Amino acid sequence: MKSEKVLIIGGVAAGTKAAAKAKRENPDLKIVILTRDRHVSYAGCGLPYYLGDVIKEEKELLVRRPKDFLIDYDIEVITEMEALKIIPEEKTVVVKSLSTGDIKNFEYDKLVLAAGASPFIPPVEGKGLGNIVTVRTVTEATAIKNLINEQGIREAVVVGGGMIGLEVAENLLLRGIGTTVVELASHILPPYDADVALYVQKYLGEKGIKILTGTAIKAFEDNGQGNVGAVITGAGTLAADLVVLAVGVRPNVDLARECGIALGTTGAIAVDESMKTNIEDIYAAGDCAENMNLITGKPVWYPMGSTANKTGRVAAINFAGTAHKDTMKGVLGTSVLKLFELNVGKTGLSERDARTLGYDVETVLVPAQDRAHYYPGSHMIVTKLIVDRKTHLVLGGQIYGEGVVDKPVDILVTAITFGSTVEQLAKLDLAYAPPFSMAMSSTIVAAHVMINKLQGRFSGVSPLALKEKMEAGAVLVDVRTKDEYFIRSIPGSINIPLRHVVDRAGELDRNREIIINCKVGLRSYMASLKLKGLGFEKVSILEGGLIAYPLETK
Amino acid sequence: MAEKHINARGLQCPGPIVQIFKEAQACAVGDILCIEVTDQGFKKDIAAWCKKTKNELLSLEEEGGVIKAKIKKC
Repeated sequence: MKSEKVLIIGGVAAGTKAAAKAKRENPDLKIVILTRDRHVSYAGCGLPYYLGDVIKEEKELLVRRPKDFLIDYDIEVITEMEALKIIPEEKTVVVKSLSTGDIKNFEYDKLVLAAGASPFIPPVEGKGLGNIVTVRTVTEATAIKNLINEQGIREAVVVGGGMIGLEVAENLLLRGIGTTVVELASHILPPYDADVALYVQKYLGEKGIKILTGTAIKAFEDNGQGNVGAVITGAGTLAADLVVLAVGVRPNVDLARECGIALGTTGAIAVDESMKTNIEDIYAAGDCAENMNLITGKPVWYPMGSTANKTGRVAAINFAGTAHKDTMKGVLGTSVLKLFELNVGKTGLSERDARTLGYDVETVLVPAQDRAHYYPGSHMIVTKLIVDRKTHLVLGGQIYGEGVVDKPVDILVTAITFGSTVEQLAKLDLAYAPPFSMAMSSTIVAAHVMINKLQGRFSGVSPLALKEKMEAGAVLVDVRTKDEYFIRSIPGSINIPLRHVVDRAGELDRNREIIINCKVGLRSYMASLKLKGLGFEKVSILEGGLIAYPLETK
Repeated sequence: MAEKHINARGLQCPGPIVQIFKEAQACAVGDILCIEVTDQGFKKDIAAWCKKTKNELLSLEEEGGVIKAKIKKC
């Protein structure tokens, strides 16, 4: 095999994965990794937990040190080096040492851009003040941790209610810091649907995190000593001695653009299935590269550590110079996160995405236990399933609750990837024993509810549409027992327990829409069948019952 | 004063809460009710029940997935 020179720019997930895999493919390669940072191969996704002291020391996050690469893999890692310019015609990269300022040229036969992404800094007055930070690198996280330990931070504002912002907020609160999240969009977790995100928002509020949505940041105020003292927002001024900017990241593409490497519609580097850019012998992988959405076939950019590792590996197999080739077909936009005891995950298209793309969408919101209800430790989780009415193909799902959600998310990932219909999903031979699942797993229950809905057995009302329906004259009938109703109910509802629905049906006006609710939806469904049997025509049920209800109850 | 133990493990909605209502009615003021439940929703339910019925929630613990609540009838 040829002993080519491989130069990799970037040394976190994709860069180090590409280097290690390429070396295993072809030990004769001479591989050099250049990185701006002092650290390589670190667990970037673990940084919020490091702030929260779940992870005590910096070293726990460092997967490998630069010198380990040389000793274990014969890969040279040069840290604190910034690539200034790529000259494709000469197959050369001009590099500057950040410690000495020296300029040096590196030649390559194959070049891999794994330059990652950088936090977006909103162009707001006062953004340069002290104690305004981002959480992207180990170096940054250590600086924040020192700040918390040494300065006694009392009030923090996290700008951005995406996954990183919320994980950071959780960990700051766990450190005893009063924490407010400010989000510009109408709800936190913008890629999720509103009904799901609002549930998470309510949960975080109960845990003590203050959340302001639909709120812009106007300016940061100096505390008189060069550090931030307050954040001026569209909804008033918030005192803060620490501000974490987590408004998203942007792909690092300047180097690529300046040498003529094509960017895609998302602004990240355009690559083909083999991770090649438009310039011969230059590959891109990880957060700086664009992805393909497997459902829509359109370019997307989901900067995820999981994808970065895969694309780094695919690039390596293709440039290593062996007979083997590999491809990366695309991604689904899968994500999962933990916030206190709540787990939240999604894959595929959201309801909003699917509607925007013109699908004839059907959704259900189905609470179910994550394992046998009698087995200690079982928890309720809610599955939002999104399918195409025309083809019955599963388009997406969002799952949340204090139980296990990553398993059902991964089941949906698999189903969507292999083009499953909801009917096929309902018949999957999933693993079952009481400590692991219900006999009918939550995913299968959700599929059954969806099939019932597609076949017209019931009509559902989204919790977010309830208020408008009630204002238009619909009656909300809670069919739980009077004891359950007494403890918690939706404002404006009336209580007719399921066993009395038939004998008390006379109390209901047949001309008005009747919306039925219970705890999870099963008793609502049974009550709706009874009322329909009595000739009621305008009967629907509240999707997700009280379990998934994301708004205030009494 | 009497202490009454209720095993409501394995009961789902509305089981555990119905049990509490029933047993609390049969108790005298000052009696203690101890209930064990596997339905995780019970944690929220029992706190709300005590607040609304003005009974005292002495403790609410979770051990190995089982929720144990101790309530004093007021």
